[in-house]
Amino acid sequence: MEGMFGNLAIGFAEVFKLQAVTVAGIAMTLPFNILMCLIGCLLGTLIGVLPGIGPVATIAMLLPVTFNLSPIAALIMLAGIYYGAQYGGSTTAILVNLPGESSSVVTCLDGYQMARRGRAGPALATAAIGSFFAGTVATLVVAMFAPPLAEVALKFGPAEYFSLMVLGLVAAVVLAHGSLIKAIAMVILGLLLGLVGTDVNSGVLRFAFGLSELADGIGFVTVAMGMFGICEIIANLEQKEKREVFTSKVGKLMPGKEDFKRMVAPILRGTVLGSCLGILPGGGALLASFGAYTLEKKVSKYSHEFGKGAIEGVAAPESANNAGAQTSFIPLLTLGIPSNAVMALMIGAMMIQGIAPGPQVMTERPQLFWGMIASMWVGNLMLVILNLPLIGMWIKLLTVPYRYLYPSILLFMAIGVFSISNQPFDCFLMACFGLLGYVCVKLGCEPAPMILGFILGPLMEENLRRAMLLSRGDPWVFVSPSKPISMGFLIAAVALLVIIALPALRKKRQEVFVEET
Amino acid sequence: MRRLLAFAVLTALAGAAWPQAWPSKPLRLVVPYAAGGPIDISARLLASRLQEPLGQPVVVENRPGAGGNIGVDLIAKGPADGYALVMSAIATLAINPSLYPSLPYDPLKDLRHVTLLVQVPNVLIVANDVPATSVRELIELARARPGKLDFGSGSTGSTGHLAGEMFKMMTGTYMVHIPYKGSAPALADLMAGRVQLMFDNLASALPSVKSEKVRALAVTTQTRSGFLPQLPTLEESGLKGFDMTTWWGVSAAAKTPQPVVDRLSAEILKAMDAPDFRERLRAMGSEPPAIRTPDQFAAFVAAELKTYTELVKRSGAKAD
Repeated sequence: MEGMFGNLAIGFAEVFKLQAVTVAGIAMTLPFNILMCLIGCLLGTLIGVLPGIGPVATIAMLLPVTFNLSPIAALIMLAGIYYGAQYGGSTTAILVNLPGESSSVVTCLDGYQMARRGRAGPALATAAIGSFFAGTVATLVVAMFAPPLAEVALKFGPAEYFSLMVLGLVAAVVLAHGSLIKAIAMVILGLLLGLVGTDVNSGVLRFAFGLSELADGIGFVTVAMGMFGICEIIANLEQKEKREVFTSKVGKLMPGKEDFKRMVAPILRGTVLGSCLGILPGGGALLASFGAYTLEKKVSKYSHEFGKGAIEGVAAPESANNAGAQTSFIPLLTLGIPSNAVMALMIGAMMIQGIAPGPQVMTERPQLFWGMIASMWVGNLMLVILNLPLIGMWIKLLTVPYRYLYPSILLFMAIGVFSISNQPFDCFLMACFGLLGYVCVKLGCEPAPMILGFILGPLMEENLRRAMLLSRGDPWVFVSPSKPISMGFLIAAVALLVIIALPALRKKRQEVFVEET
Repeated sequence: MRRLLAFAVLTALAGAAWPQAWPSKPLRLVVPYAAGGPIDISARLLASRLQEPLGQPVVVENRPGAGGNIGVDLIAKGPADGYALVMSAIATLAINPSLYPSLPYDPLKDLRHVTLLVQVPNVLIVANDVPATSVRELIELARARPGKLDFGSGSTGSTGHLAGEMFKMMTGTYMVHIPYKGSAPALADLMAGRVQLMFDNLASALPSVKSEKVRALAVTTQTRSGFLPQLPTLEESGLKGFDMTTWWGVSAAAKTPQPVVDRLSAEILKAMDAPDFRERLRAMGSEPPAIRTPDQFAAFVAAELKTYTELVKRSGAKAD
């Protein structure tokens, strides 16, 4: 304990250190690292708000700039972009139903509904507060337990990941609040879409109709923008007279007393779940926000409000994804294994600076290691300070008339999607998914389970086939006593399935003729 | 000031060579992969260094897809005016032609290879619980337990995969290839002992080797690496002729005018020879390549293409 506080003190000293720098020819003494942190957070928020432009592209573009910085300043700034984008992404998800990141898909569900009911302010504030709390806790977790937790991450092999994904998919069904059958159908549709692209094992191109643009599969951003953003715009066009603008019902900016009371438990649960899942390098963090939402929907006494603007449905996933974002640094810092594309870039940045990522960083360069951890907390604090006053401004954005706001959103989406791989094909694909999304809305099918199926499908297939390759075709590896983690997940999945199916079956018997609207 | 002078002299020279003074507009450097990989990073590094001597911005453009083929094809089929360049690599120039039967470009006829930028050795690493401490012992182990050992790689058709296939061929052993999506998850499974060995590029393996999470047995190049000088080569360990590096460089469309190619090559080499740039590339595990002229690079590509065509055919790997 003592040691940790000592280490954190080193870290904070590093973050707040005054440095002599020369800016535009003028020599001055500045707390340079903290400035870099601020710049990173600002940039991150900005790109998070702009749909489609993600932290990966931004960090890649800024890498050459960081070569001229000290390693600590570079890493602090890049990390700032990463979690800044997580904050910013939830802003568009809440305001205009646009998830810029896989983690903010879930925030759309209730966040956007809150905004529609004039509660955009409290929704944004909840996201910010939840994220800050989760970030604080997760930073402490990283500081205290990083090395032992890294060992846990190594316990997860293909079999464990596969079983975790199965559990995730079963949970995906809970995301929907309508018909069970439709939710299952959407999950399967998502799984099928996820199969498009190059087969990992053989390298053969599948379901791509000979289009080389599809060789790497369908992009997540393309699907999410289409199914949520474009679909929303089309659906809005339908209403000839009162196209949805929230001008008249902006309402309060801050959550009320009742809101605070309701968000506490979900934030706590989301933080715990997010911190745990974030440690797993093979896509665990992706599950964090979905898992937190599902859990909340099952345990909350307001579960009937989910999907209609429940504050819990914002608080839990937002805390979870931010906690996961912080703890996903653990495999990077302790094993040198990146858990996602952003972390892979961070490794690139470290190597360019001549630092080999891995456990020796902690002992060989304690200033760097602890400075970075301290900066995460400082960055989170900055984000909350930045974002709370910004809420007022964001909400003003909603009062922009439909005819200006939505065409510009459309434009930004197209730019964002195009910028990922610079091909117009992706924009057309996004439009197609917009149409598909609209059809789904009309059919009463919700996109969220599909998106989760789409994200998890490829991961699940990859791990299933890898596990089978390693076991030389023996399917019992998933439930063998030597793999208790995998077995545990599968048992949990079956249990969850029963819990979901029972009330639905009972309901079916009672209300045979009542269709969900 | 000296740089400025050099720049003035160069532009004057350039002006003498062509009336329309190349470059008169920004250049684009296509990276046929998503942003963030080592090839992307080195491209951005290079682009920022070329800006000043060329007097024009060099814009890095990511065109990922189909194992890099889309981006390379774009340049191969594009205008040969010297304004469009591509980061070409062992995958797109030497391996993919035999991996993808319907490759839209010919790596020798459709492209003019300008400069070889980076050469990184691969390292043979094994999990800590593998009893073998040398290549010889590993071969014995593989012979004693045919089909029991697994080797991981970043993807089907990657250099890691093909190095494994070459190893199997030369030693007459049988091991199962386990492909991953990128070498990081493969490395994680190697640390956990779920796969027993892997050929990974030096830069990504080095941290885990240094922190003793995995054990290195040999490098795949003909000469030892300056990063791990105590590590023998595979050739020293008895595998005669085993030579494999991961490499990438800059290429342009085939009909790019010779003076433009020469100027580009000169500028890139100059950038590469700057000590700080060299240091950045060294951080990626690359020693400065001995191949320096465009013609040497083209001959190298041709030789590599031949080697890997053979290897891919014998390994049975296929994509499309």
